[in-house]
Amino acid sequence: MTDRAVEDRDTKRPVTVVTGFLGSGKTTLLARVLAAPSIANTAVLVNEFGEVGLDHHLLRRVDERTVLLGSGCACCTTREDLVGALLELLDMDQRGEIPRLDRVVIETTGLADPAPILHTIYTDPVLQHHFSVDLVLTTVDAVNGALHLDRNPESVKQVTAADKIVVTKTDIAEPNSAQGLLSRLSKINPSARIFEAAFGELDVRELLRPGGVGAHARPASLAAESGNPHDVGDTYSVSVTFDGAIDWTAFGIWFSMLLHARGEDVLRVKGFLDVGEAGPVILNGVQHTIHPPEHLGEWPDEDHRSRIIFITKRIQPEELLDSLLAFHELLGARPLHLHAEQSIPLP
Amino acid sequence: MCVLCGQDFVAQAHWTDRHVEDRARASYPGADPVEYQRDRRRDRGHRVVLTNEVLSHYGLRVEDWGGSKYVLRDRKGRSELVQDLGSLWPAATKLAGRPPDPLDPALCEALSAAHDG
Repeated sequence: MTDRAVEDRDTKRPVTVVTGFLGSGKTTLLARVLAAPSIANTAVLVNEFGEVGLDHHLLRRVDERTVLLGSGCACCTTREDLVGALLELLDMDQRGEIPRLDRVVIETTGLADPAPILHTIYTDPVLQHHFSVDLVLTTVDAVNGALHLDRNPESVKQVTAADKIVVTKTDIAEPNSAQGLLSRLSKINPSARIFEAAFGELDVRELLRPGGVGAHARPASLAAESGNPHDVGDTYSVSVTFDGAIDWTAFGIWFSMLLHARGEDVLRVKGFLDVGEAGPVILNGVQHTIHPPEHLGEWPDEDHRSRIIFITKRIQPEELLDSLLAFHELLGARPLHLHAEQSIPLP
Repeated sequence: MCVLCGQDFVAQAHWTDRHVEDRARASYPGADPVEYQRDRRRDRGHRVVLTNEVLSHYGLRVEDWGGSKYVLRDRKGRSELVQDLGSLWPAATKLAGRPPDPLDPALCEALSAAHDG
């Protein structure tokens, strides 16, 4: 890891975004997480004080106020309310009025698309230097989750933006439907690690750990399941590697052009890229918002191949692969499609 | 804009520009600033060459503009000044009348043909 990256990790306050559809158990999960003794010095921003009392000294309510930028793209909006609330917390932290913030948790409304939250933190001139989103947690209700995914595009966006998915209410769902939902979630977002939780019971420390290599291991029962391409609607995912190191500048041209032309259909990108340096580049993006790519000083494991997952809407995996193949002279390597059985752990 | 070096103060580095900035910050204190400038210039030059391979399909061309911006031109002599790749594509869309799309089969074919030929 570069010194800069180490410095960022040391100085930037991690932000965890908790999202999930209406009634999917966000607040219950949050109440459980905040009760854990290891979670001290955490500030919480919520949209509404719910029925489940969150008794917390650093609880703030924010009213969702979005400022649409000129492009009119829904994911590239700035949440003014968040800017205000985070700057206030930063001010209190720097004045020493509160203990140093270890973490900020932002709970979204059930209908929120999490992308504007990431956009706000990564583009605000002040916030980008003091905060970094380390984790997007999405709750999905085992009873109604499938229905939400069918009917609400926001629900699909929440799942694709997730680093970790918590399936709630598994205790009251039909075992078969819960299993079907788990399988569907892992097809929509193969890069996310899925947890099952009844009554918000789960290992908080594990849940809040930023995704390490291998963090997306799926429940073993899913491995053998045959895929039905129709059950994920028009959402596709494809894992890609390359037959050699790629040119980072060329990849930047290809991907920034893709985001400009088809950004609203590129729901998620996540992976390691071998750019011919000592370590890989970590790429992580949700719609138009790309986390500042981190150039690591060394590979975290033995496997030094690029491995990248694209989750798209309406864009077929073959279209992406054909395009990368056409760009192979610029990129310096040819793309190879990784099938499910060859999938490699992601950051 | 800084009156001494002519560079803009850009609040937000585009994600494709971060690696050069990160390398500069990661270098030891007192590192040779000439090295950083050389690195940055090489990177920009390389980007211009690669971007032009794509833009030629749309009748456009980009050049480095004083090491701080890029100038994008079409064949009619119209031009746009852009800061980075984030603002290059909207400007290219304006000049070309359509967004350059890496999934466009015609562009893919043109790129393959250029390299096979």
